[in-house]
Amino acid sequence: MSDLQLEIKNLIIDALGLEDMSADDIGAEQTLFGEGLGLDSVDALELGLAIQKRFGIKIDAEAKDTRKHFANVASLAAFVSAQKAA
Amino acid sequence: MNFQIEGLRAWAPGLESEDDWRAWCNAPVVVPDDQQQPDVSFLPAMQRRRLSRLARMLFHVAWPLAEGQGPLPLVFASRHGETPRTLAILSELAKDEPLSPTQFSLSVHNAIIGLWSILREDTSEMTAMAATGDGLEQAMLEASGLLAEGAPAVLLVIAEELPPDLYTPYIDDVPFSYALALLLKPGKTWTLSLAPAESGLPAAWPHPLNLLRALYGGQPTLIHYWKDRQWIWSRNEA
Repeated sequence: MSDLQLEIKNLIIDALGLEDMSADDIGAEQTLFGEGLGLDSVDALELGLAIQKRFGIKIDAEAKDTRKHFANVASLAAFVSAQKAA
Repeated sequence: MNFQIEGLRAWAPGLESEDDWRAWCNAPVVVPDDQQQPDVSFLPAMQRRRLSRLARMLFHVAWPLAEGQGPLPLVFASRHGETPRTLAILSELAKDEPLSPTQFSLSVHNAIIGLWSILREDTSEMTAMAATGDGLEQAMLEASGLLAEGAPAVLLVIAEELPPDLYTPYIDDVPFSYALALLLKPGKTWTLSLAPAESGLPAAWPHPLNLLRALYGGQPTLIHYWKDRQWIWSRNEA
């Protein structure tokens, strides 16, 4: 697990108030929304905001790839790395 | 209006059990509020994550009373509601920061009863009201209306949270965080009536806490004055 993945897992736990959970409880490839972790649309907005604040990047909610980037922790980490490099 | 108080539960920091409350009622004092959270571990973590402290207070006192009752209308009263959430949002706005969607969506006065309805899967009529000193009695009026319409039982919850420090100079009616839930049923063991009042001393404690003292103390009547109103609670012989 990369440092960035760990940071994103902890961000998910803090931003969404997932008490009783630790980073180990979230798999890098585990689906975040609907199935898997079971997050919903309000969580999606909250997580998008938390990622923008933490990493200083912009997320276009309308872009069709956004849904793919938010699929799981691994895809989010790849997206954040790419955005920070851009 | 006539009714029966079928069940009651209260919570305040350090006051959890009936014995705690009986002791408090005998010798009432301002209890220290160290932001203790009431237990809501009967809910899965994923369902607890959006519950504020005030919401946890409501769930903690109301949930056990609602068990086994079937669909149950709810009247929720709070003068100050989710003031801490509102302050958090205003603070973000003042800093030109984007607002938290969760805080925003849960800051309205009826958000808690919305969560209650979702988590209990109960679509009964539910009302959130804000009133000042006699909020308890105003909520009783609402609950009596529901009973009169034929509801077999009504849940009434009144809760206040100690305000954030910034508001302390302006809010003087919340000595400490507290929540009271009453399970009301049609009946005649209690009567609550309203009469005009020229004057009268305001109650020593918020009305819900005063009512608890009357209930646990076996007091036959209780009179609450607020503005030009006089609310008379009387216990009828069985």
